[in-house]
Amino acid sequence: MFMDHILNSGSTPLLQKMMDFTAARHDLIAENIVNISTPGYVQKDYSVANFQHRLQDRLASSQRSGNGSPRFDDIQPTLGDSNTGMLFHDRGNRSAEQMMSDLSSNALRHNLYAELLRKQFDSMKSVLSERV
Amino acid sequence: MFEALEMGATGLTAQRVRMNTIANNLLNIDSIENAQGQNIPFRRRLVTFQPGSPTDPKKPGVHVAKIEEDQSPFRRVYEPGDKKHADAEGYVLHPNVNLEAEFVNMLEATRAYEANVTMMETTKSMISSSLRLLA
Repeated sequence: MFMDHILNSGSTPLLQKMMDFTAARHDLIAENIVNISTPGYVQKDYSVANFQHRLQDRLASSQRSGNGSPRFDDIQPTLGDSNTGMLFHDRGNRSAEQMMSDLSSNALRHNLYAELLRKQFDSMKSVLSERV
Repeated sequence: MFEALEMGATGLTAQRVRMNTIANNLLNIDSIENAQGQNIPFRRRLVTFQPGSPTDPKKPGVHVAKIEEDQSPFRRVYEPGDKKHADAEGYVLHPNVNLEAEFVNMLEATRAYEANVTMMETTKSMISSSLRLLA
């Protein structure tokens, strides 16, 4: 009960969910990159804004109802519209620039969330060590 | 995320096969006879990729679906002195390999290979930052 309260309160579950999202999105971006020369391949991507809005809505509704820590387990990423507007003669819409910028921004987000989570765990560790 | 590393490997393999095919086209740019010594010039090879892992097409990745011959016409070069290969009008058939097109394809394959390597490096950095949570 005590550990559950520590691990599932504050921003920890939110950061965990965002790390899951960036990991899943990374796999999708990787698939786009390996298919950079595949004729007719259409890029796929998860909508970051949509996912963050749904997390935000869940957080706001739980704060309004006062039900304690919100759960985000059922919120899954959804495929967004990745049409860049450019279509090649082979009916593909691959854009190397967009892929590489998505790749680096997603990786930076992932590393940021991991670092924030690590800081939280460090704080928990120091608090727990004071108790003993 | 380990899946991304496997995917990257399929991308590297596919681009390497493409590069080998381009190298083969360039090497044979002047091969006006086939391996049996017949008067049939070399035909340019084309690589076609398809999405899906080479071992299991349902898994994400990329694989070489086919390597086929380019059916565009051979180059006709006026060489009346070459009695063995020239036709009645003095033209010799040369391979349908276009040097500029091959160079452009080679550059594209190199950039795609580099993009795959970058993606794998990024994957490694993401995995190591996640693993640091354990320390």
